[in-house]
Amino acid sequence: MTSHIDWRNTLPKIVACIIVVPALLVPLFTNNPASLSIVILSGIWAVVAMGFTLILWTGQFSLGQSAFMAIGGYTSAILTAHLDWPFWPSFLAAGLVSGIVACAVGAVVLRVGGFYFSIITLALGEIVRIIAMQWQSVTRGTRGLVTYPPETISLGFINIDFTASTVPWYYFMIVLVAFSGLIYWRIGKSRIGGTFFSVAANPMLAEHQGIHLMKYRVIAFTVAGVFTGLAGSFYGHFLSAMTPYTLGIQESIQVMIMSIVGGISSLVAGPIVGSVVLYNLSQFLQRLNLEGIHPVVFGGAIVCILLFLPKGTGLVDLWTKFWKRVYGEVDFYELPEDMEKDIEVH
Amino acid sequence: MALLELKNISKNFGMLRALDQISLNVEQGDVLGIVGPNGSGKTTLINVISGYYQATQGTIRLDGKDICGLRPDRIAARGIARTFQSNVIYDSATVIESMLVSAYLQYKTSNWQAFFGTRAYRDEHERIVGRVLDILRLLDLFNDTFIPGEKLSYGYQRMLGIAIALSADPKILMLDEPTTGMNHQEAMFVVENIKKIREQGVTIIIIEHNMRVVANLATNVVVLNFGTKIAEGEPHMVMNNREVIEAYLGTETFSSN
Repeated sequence: MTSHIDWRNTLPKIVACIIVVPALLVPLFTNNPASLSIVILSGIWAVVAMGFTLILWTGQFSLGQSAFMAIGGYTSAILTAHLDWPFWPSFLAAGLVSGIVACAVGAVVLRVGGFYFSIITLALGEIVRIIAMQWQSVTRGTRGLVTYPPETISLGFINIDFTASTVPWYYFMIVLVAFSGLIYWRIGKSRIGGTFFSVAANPMLAEHQGIHLMKYRVIAFTVAGVFTGLAGSFYGHFLSAMTPYTLGIQESIQVMIMSIVGGISSLVAGPIVGSVVLYNLSQFLQRLNLEGIHPVVFGGAIVCILLFLPKGTGLVDLWTKFWKRVYGEVDFYELPEDMEKDIEVH
Repeated sequence: MALLELKNISKNFGMLRALDQISLNVEQGDVLGIVGPNGSGKTTLINVISGYYQATQGTIRLDGKDICGLRPDRIAARGIARTFQSNVIYDSATVIESMLVSAYLQYKTSNWQAFFGTRAYRDEHERIVGRVLDILRLLDLFNDTFIPGEKLSYGYQRMLGIAIALSADPKILMLDEPTTGMNHQEAMFVVENIKKIREQGVTIIIIEHNMRVVANLATNVVVLNFGTKIAEGEPHMVMNNREVIEAYLGTETFSSN
């Protein structure tokens, strides 16, 4: 009976489900807000890392994604605190505003491309932070803005109360990660994903094939901006306050490392694996009594991971390699003997 | 009115005059050979036509419409495709992936339709896959459909470069030294393929050093030297032109018998 099942393709998916499904049930195992917070924040960083990877897929290194988190966070904080907007419209507005800023900035900055683009995005993070500190009338500067959780959602007899426990936040994060992951995955698999690849792999060739390079670089930058803005809004409301200190260069670089360690060849699974592994590792090290040298240990751990991984691959590629080892690689150069005689050899 | 008209095209790089008042016409169905010593401006001319460089002076008209100063992707959309002397391909992508990504101009459906996978997109995609496979069959790359570009042998990589340019369904195909690094047999194989492409109705401009290839293919030849056109006409007339022979005709001289 089992010989009719295509194990090669289905077994990895079954194993993946077995690993992922318990993630949905974490709140059943622990109600501890601290533990849940760690998982929730890993999810948020995963969404931001997906944006970084998408921009990388068009051949650009953005070191300023924390700027878009800050823009998203401040947008929803300002809308809820100053204009008394409810949470959900503010959350969506955060994504929209962040996307618009990304589009406007990208249209100008992506022209220079490459190295200069990376430096400018680095500066962008700082610019946003300084605006947040100086624009006292709107952002309350260094005092920050207090943010409130989403209003309680009433579904029949169930009340989803964000103030009562961290569990609703957890599922909110799962929905955000799943939705972002679905969109990013679909982008990667569709024609536009191939166009991004060609823009990154060989811009000169792509341009001569009719592909407008700037258009696609800006599209990727904008999409990343939208989802990063949503992540930033979640971040701000989850931490109950939006300040200029929480999102800076360090966070941008952290996002880059999560994407690279996870695996840049993957748009969804790579960032998720990278951020879950690294964020949990860093939190774990902070809780051990290492007398303050935990950043050194953390840095050392990243270096070791990267040395261990083959060049250009990430943790997610270990998964693909594992399955290739189990089932053998399909080699298109060698056909089974009985097929070879049918095909003309050149 | 010729398909492609160049009038007094000049290109300066600072003080260096790479192209000096080049004028030429290409009719529909022609095969125009561009020959000349290394450094005479042949690739520069192709770069200017394809939009990669902007001409310092002069006009270029395609089907009567001015295309000077347009970006390369806009010029490609008008129907001019080219290959590269250094043979630029997508190394890590398989042949079919490279072709589908390069067939960008053939898709009329929008990116949104592709994203949602609408029926219109899927139908168009199937048709384009068919057309791309036809190009691969035409150029003898069909057996290598799933092989990554970097794993092909040199000769087939060059054919892939030509196939990529063809996947944009161009009116004019510009080939930059397609037979470099090939022996006579391989070069004639490329010539046969170019003849097949020409039969499909594509007008061809070919830069070549190999005179046998030029003699076999070209309807017209233009000779450049130091950025100026020193001769123009049918292949056998140009090859016997004293000035051209004196200017260094290339790696082989062709003698008619």
